Amino acid sequence: MTVLPEGFGHHGKDLDSIFSTYQELRTTCPVGHSERYGGFWFLTKYEDIWAAEQNPKAFSVAQGMLLPSLGNERPLIPLDIDAPALQQFRRMLLPAFAPAKMERLEPLVREVAEQLIDGFADAEVFDASLSYARILPMIVFAEMAGLPREDYDRFQDWVERTMYGRTEDPADAVAAAKEVDAYFRELRRKRLDEPERDDLVGCLLSGSIDGRPISEDEFADYCFLLLVAGLETSAWSIRAALWYLAQHPEDRRRLVAEPELMVKATEEFLRCLAPVQGMARTLQQDVEIRGQVLAAGERVLLLLGSGNRDEEVFADADHVVIDRGDNPHLAFGIGSHRCLGSNLGRREVRLGLAVLLARIPDFELADSDEQWWGVGPLLLRRTDPAVAGPRAEATAAPARAGEEAGP
Amino acid sequence: MRIVVDPDRCQGHNRCHVLVPEVFGVDELGYSVVVLTDEVPEHLVARTQEAVRNCPERAISTDDGSEHDAG
Repeated sequence: MTVLPEGFGHHGKDLDSIFSTYQELRTTCPVGHSERYGGFWFLTKYEDIWAAEQNPKAFSVAQGMLLPSLGNERPLIPLDIDAPALQQFRRMLLPAFAPAKMERLEPLVREVAEQLIDGFADAEVFDASLSYARILPMIVFAEMAGLPREDYDRFQDWVERTMYGRTEDPADAVAAAKEVDAYFRELRRKRLDEPERDDLVGCLLSGSIDGRPISEDEFADYCFLLLVAGLETSAWSIRAALWYLAQHPEDRRRLVAEPELMVKATEEFLRCLAPVQGMARTLQQDVEIRGQVLAAGERVLLLLGSGNRDEEVFADADHVVIDRGDNPHLAFGIGSHRCLGSNLGRREVRLGLAVLLARIPDFELADSDEQWWGVGPLLLRRTDPAVAGPRAEATAAPARAGEEAGP
Repeated sequence: MRIVVDPDRCQGHNRCHVLVPEVFGVDELGYSVVVLTDEVPEHLVARTQEAVRNCPERAISTDDGSEHDAG
């Protein structure tokens, strides 16, 4: 086996070859134990993950769903909250993420996408990640949440240092988490002095739990989660889909010719290249899975990314099939912790891809070693006739739209 | 074929609503509501069965026994 179960990890460079690792683990060690991140069990099979997600009494989130943690001192809300408070916290924002509200957001997503593309439409090589995939969800989310534009650079910095820094420099992740905490406490004070607004921050400020108003701690813990979940996951998903499409011209051309396929293609990109590969639980009782006893108190990582490629559930599981019909994937998690923003996320991905493909239908990777994961740069070279002619020479430098917003 | 959504299982993924809005609506919190409680007309049957198979919570059932094969 190329990766021993005890060395298994699901962040950073471990993601380079994680899909072949999953494949081996599902066959040889479907329920395994890793020594990393303080030690944890991991589940690789769809059915086992499904059953765990549907059993929140045994599989609690109270000690944190993120492994390792982001450096937060208190539980993230609603991520690390068990029932019954979980449902109360979720209800504060569920109406804001319902399909009718998302429908109204569509013109904004399209407009921002078009504007960002204007910034690099003339370039032969462009950074599809820093100029597009990362900026689009940030602007849309900040608009929806009610977060000020002048703070975009700080948001990106915090997401970088918590989501990505946590495995490499945990002390800095803690420092960044403290900055995030202070920022949202300050924002709360400011907003309480202003007229009420109908954005996510406004919904939280008027939220109540057990009949009392949401506290300052709870507000900050909810906003922290929204920030990392809202900025990073859609950016990753758009970048990963473009990474794939850059290498599969037949699929790209099919999506250009049949734009209605984008709904299914989006689900398929989420199934195969999801930003959240695993979510953790803590056992409240002993459980036995495939003959293996996992003891109360132990951490268990549900490998959603492996369940999504389980050959017992999905035909041709390790391949992207852009018109896949049956696709009950786990990318947003299932059960009571289903990603609150899933309908925003999939809409951002679908529209982000559709608008870009309509403007720039043909492109390839400028660096063939580029990896599928993360939100780092993704240089793409246009190969469509519009720029592949003489114009290309004059525009050889990579362009960056949204520079004022910072990468 | 008639459709039933189990409200205790539905978590508001909206997969069914996106695939067959003629059959599946949503409430104000985003949970699935069957808007076509009568017999599903012939031209919607295939898409409705696809919606059943795409529900990751296995919350949708039909009275003709067509079950999703995911579990």
